[in-house]
Amino acid sequence: MDDVQVSLFGPRALLIRFAEEVNRQSLARCRGLLRSLEENPLEGLDDVTPAYCSVLLEFRDSKRISAQLSKLDELLKSAQALPPEEAPLHEISVCYDGPDIEELARRNRLSVSDVAELHALPIYNVFLIGFSPGFPYLGPLDPRLHVPRLDSPRSRVPVGSVAIGGEHTGIYSVASPGGWWLIGRTDRELFSLSKAREAGSREAFLLRQGDLVKFQAVGDLPSLK
Amino acid sequence: MSSVPVLQVLALGAGASIQDLGRTGWKRFGIPPGGAMDADSARQANLLVGNEEGAPVIELLFTGARFRVLSAAELAITGADVESECPQWRNFHAETGQRISFERLRAGVWTYLAVQGGFAGPRWFGSASVDPRAGLGGMIQAGAQLHREKVQRVGGISSRFVPGLVRERFDDIPTLRVWSGPEWQYFPESVRALFLSESWLVSMQSDRAGYRLEGAALESGRSQMPSAPVAVGTVQVPPNGLPIVLLRDGPTVGGYPRLAILDPSAISRFTQCAPGTCVQFELVE
Repeated sequence: MDDVQVSLFGPRALLIRFAEEVNRQSLARCRGLLRSLEENPLEGLDDVTPAYCSVLLEFRDSKRISAQLSKLDELLKSAQALPPEEAPLHEISVCYDGPDIEELARRNRLSVSDVAELHALPIYNVFLIGFSPGFPYLGPLDPRLHVPRLDSPRSRVPVGSVAIGGEHTGIYSVASPGGWWLIGRTDRELFSLSKAREAGSREAFLLRQGDLVKFQAVGDLPSLK
Repeated sequence: MSSVPVLQVLALGAGASIQDLGRTGWKRFGIPPGGAMDADSARQANLLVGNEEGAPVIELLFTGARFRVLSAAELAITGADVESECPQWRNFHAETGQRISFERLRAGVWTYLAVQGGFAGPRWFGSASVDPRAGLGGMIQAGAQLHREKVQRVGGISSRFVPGLVRERFDDIPTLRVWSGPEWQYFPESVRALFLSESWLVSMQSDRAGYRLEGAALESGRSQMPSAPVAVGTVQVPPNGLPIVLLRDGPTVGGYPRLAILDPSAISRFTQCAPGTCVQFELVE
């Protein structure tokens, strides 16, 4: 990979930057690096945090970094971008009856059914998992649905809420405070401790970075508690 | 592993949770590291009772917590400088029925209570640390019984202590080392100089996720950027110009410029800076 920037992030971490702009290409390169790191683990690497166009590598101590630099350099040269088309596709049912869908429609000069249709039409990329355990930042979102975050965030958004914030859409994976517009809800669990207990920690999460998501509009759904 | 009831919580005080040194490897799924805020003090408490340094301990916020000892145990208290009938920074033997209370706080924020064998708690993602957002581990409630892991024989460890000369006191204005962050260059030279010369006041709006600082507003040319990775100790600057130092239960990504990064060796000391006290930063060149 060319035009990759590697810089120190304090004494124990490295920040790898692919591009200043968020796009499918930067996502594919983040995924490619993560895949390479899984196949060729770096010694002393504690945590890997991928975001839109950068990845943070946190090491146990600063000595490990210098020892692993040349190996990382090779990984960066050999890592292949992983195109999103090859990622798992998740179909997720949504009931578009959220408390903010009417206001969002009015504000963006659309009907409620337009909002639902436009939102359910594309296949989204999971650009990022963050904010809460298993919370996906999905995009690209139709520009007709872009809307600034709420002026005053809610202190508690119910789990399963499907929401829009800025240029992104996402699903509240656990109940939490939140400033996005709630347009619907799903009964799919994105974060499940019972799955973690039964099948291992990794199985707690439905989605990972780079996965694909397609929403299916449905008339009604039970609520997650 | 079997466990033994060791403490009953008579009063919770400002807040209490079970913490170890946190979890690694789960940030990519949005799970923060968690773990003891003042990890150095938590480690010391464990070493005093002969545990591995990462065994689960009780972390207490400020004062007001009171416990009754349910079965004889070897304990140690470290962290904040708080008035208690029990000794601090040394191991001690507690008998059944004994009371342990934490009254007036002289300096610091977080107090650690370790028991020989370690406190028992459910482990999620490799750690017993509580994570309220993810619902991991149990928050400690008033009236609850806290268990310790069984040990071969209570006691049997020699008297240990941490000498006053080598431990932090938490009553001075610390100067903490920071590294330049990825967006350091976004900030004009004069603003960076201001960051390094100001005495920053720790805000009341501070918690395990991060401490807000009050002082001169730091203006950058740009305020928003695509969400990017952050870590424990990242100093980010939101549009109001007042820095936030992210801590153990903080987010894994953030959309504000990352001005600086607290040196890992300064994080424990920083977490003991109480709201209303001051802190200064110096740049690692």
